[in-house]
Amino acid sequence: MTVIESFKMAIEAITANKMRSFLTMLGIIIGIAAVIAILAIGNGATTKITGTFNDLGATTISLSVSNKAGNDAQLTAADLQAIKQADDRVTAVSPNYTLSGFAATNTQDQQAIIFGGTPDLQYTSTMMDSTITAGRYFTQADYAESAPVAVISADGAAQLFPNQRNVVGQTITLRSRTTSISVRLIGETQSTVDKYQGAVRRSSFPVYVAIPYSTMKLLSINAGGITDVTMKVRSRNDITSVSQSTVRLLETRHDVVGEQLYTARNFLSALDQVDSVLGLFVNFIAAVAAIALIVGGIGVMNIMLVSVTERTREIGTRKALGATTRDILIQFLLEAVILSLIGGLIGLTLGIAVAEIVANVLGITARITWQAILLVLLFASAVGVFFGLYPARKAAKLNPIEALRYE
Amino acid sequence: MSLITMQHVVKSYTMGDEHLVVLKDVNLTVEAGEFLAIMGPSGSGKSTMMNIMGLLDTFDSGLYQLRDTDVTHLSDNERAHVRNKEIGFVFQSFNLMPRMTLLENVALPMVYAGIGRRERQDRAAAALTQVGLGDRLDHQPNEISGGQMQRVAIARAIVNRPAVIMADEPTGNLDSKTSVEIIRIFQELNAAGTTVVMVTHEPDIAQYTKRIISFRDGIIQTDQVLDQPHKAGVEE
Ligand SMILES: Nc1ncnc2c1ncn2[C@@H]1O[C@H](COP(=O)(O)OP(=O)(O)OP(=O)(O)O)[C@@H](O)[C@H]1O
Ligand SMILES: [Mg+2]
Repeated sequence: MTVIESFKMAIEAITANKMRSFLTMLGIIIGIAAVIAILAIGNGATTKITGTFNDLGATTISLSVSNKAGNDAQLTAADLQAIKQADDRVTAVSPNYTLSGFAATNTQDQQAIIFGGTPDLQYTSTMMDSTITAGRYFTQADYAESAPVAVISADGAAQLFPNQRNVVGQTITLRSRTTSISVRLIGETQSTVDKYQGAVRRSSFPVYVAIPYSTMKLLSINAGGITDVTMKVRSRNDITSVSQSTVRLLETRHDVVGEQLYTARNFLSALDQVDSVLGLFVNFIAAVAAIALIVGGIGVMNIMLVSVTERTREIGTRKALGATTRDILIQFLLEAVILSLIGGLIGLTLGIAVAEIVANVLGITARITWQAILLVLLFASAVGVFFGLYPARKAAKLNPIEALRYE
Repeated sequence: MSLITMQHVVKSYTMGDEHLVVLKDVNLTVEAGEFLAIMGPSGSGKSTMMNIMGLLDTFDSGLYQLRDTDVTHLSDNERAHVRNKEIGFVFQSFNLMPRMTLLENVALPMVYAGIGRRERQDRAAAALTQVGLGDRLDHQPNEISGGQMQRVAIARAIVNRPAVIMADEPTGNLDSKTSVEIIRIFQELNAAGTTVVMVTHEPDIAQYTKRIISFRDGIIQTDQVLDQPHKAGVEE
């Protein structure tokens, strides 16, 4: 008997009892839908997170100094210069001092995040979009004389000067908990809030301002030592080796080799963390899906056993007409597999729909790969084979005379 | 060379500590072209005998030769193949596949024979035409009468051109008029050369065959050749 014939018979048997077949498939539908939705959302989330890292920090290294470091081990401006000169793969090095304070004009007073750094901050800043749209960034000269100048993010400018197109040349007051200074706005950058693509609420987003680190010292007494440094390398392939060589350079300069006072973090290590959290989540849901599939498989086995009993006479007749043990086995096995596979296809459709809806709510793009589709369909077939084998063998081994006599 | 040669066939069932010998040293020879009726009281072993002849059942000891082949010791698979090629079954309760059309039902033995789709359809249609149902190919079994169902079953039995048709009480579920119609088809097939073996309870049905053997308690009690079988379709 050909596979096409067995296939036709299986389809006929399944469609003869549509409601029963559908109920039987339910476990598999739910299991497969869960699997495909998780895979799609997980993939989408990973892509989104990886993409964000790529945008913001694929070539960024964050240096930090342990709080166990003594005075001799603190970072200095000379250290930063040495790092930049030691390796031409390093394109920018800047302190990364962040202060939460306020920015005010005569009429407005808003929450602000104030970033302090060298002129390289324009290239190392990962939180603030530093693309200049008007005016200029602060320079080495500004930095050298602690000039009271600032660069403001376009969305912040709009908050402080609601009715003004061009804010370059305006003066604003920056306020910390202890003091306040007046700074002149010398440049405006692209809106930062847009970079977060709706992940934050626009109206409560603080004013982002960048000033020279030397000027920052006037605003905050804590800004004395350099504890956080951000550096930029030419390409993401340089990240690991530059991270290592920079730590070694600093240890040598401060004579603290092996004390592990300096740490270099990059997006690769951050990605690892994200991956492990995501992996845990995926594993948990996958376990739930596996249980659903097993329950679904038992449903298939149960209905196939019922079907074999109901069709005992049919099996006997087929055997009398010349069906071999193998013919009957294949017929019933195929029926179980097709039942599971149809369940799998319905589950696939449902899972994609669920993934799209959830992804939409989360603001990510569901990613459904053909590997994932192949995987779940193979999985559904495997469930069918595994749970269909016992009923199919039972049918195949029926004694033809007893089967024919069965009422 | 005889079509069927059975020698010293013994068949018994053991249930618990009860040992029941159903066929006790049965010897039977059937020539090609015969139309044989098997009679006897209920429980005398008629169906058992027919199931063994049809290679549906095995037996304890003895010898069975079909055409020139010894089929005494075949495997399950080999018996399935012989059934498929050499034997056409007709059952008392028709045993058609309820969700298949008449054409598909008749084509089923050819599916197991591995015959291609086109040939299956052609031959199934021809067989149905031969039993007078050539205009009902696409009907379902639940749309036709019992007599018509048995005709479909006969078409199914002859479609693989078997050596012998085995019919266990084929008229048992039919009224006497329909029974005679079925017997007439058997007579036509037999006249065209097909060997027919039929179990029946009804003496007047047996009168349409050419030879009657009678079972009692697992042995063949009488074996009688009819000089003038009745002719179905000719009202008396
Ligand atoms: N599987 C079995 N197990 C035990 N005994 C059986 C089995 N099959 C048949 N028998 C017994 O074998 C004997 C012959 O049965 P068989 O079916 O051949 O009778 P029969 O002549 O066809 O009767 P009927 O006219 O009622 O159909 C009966 O006594 C029956 O009970
Ligand atoms: Mg019987």
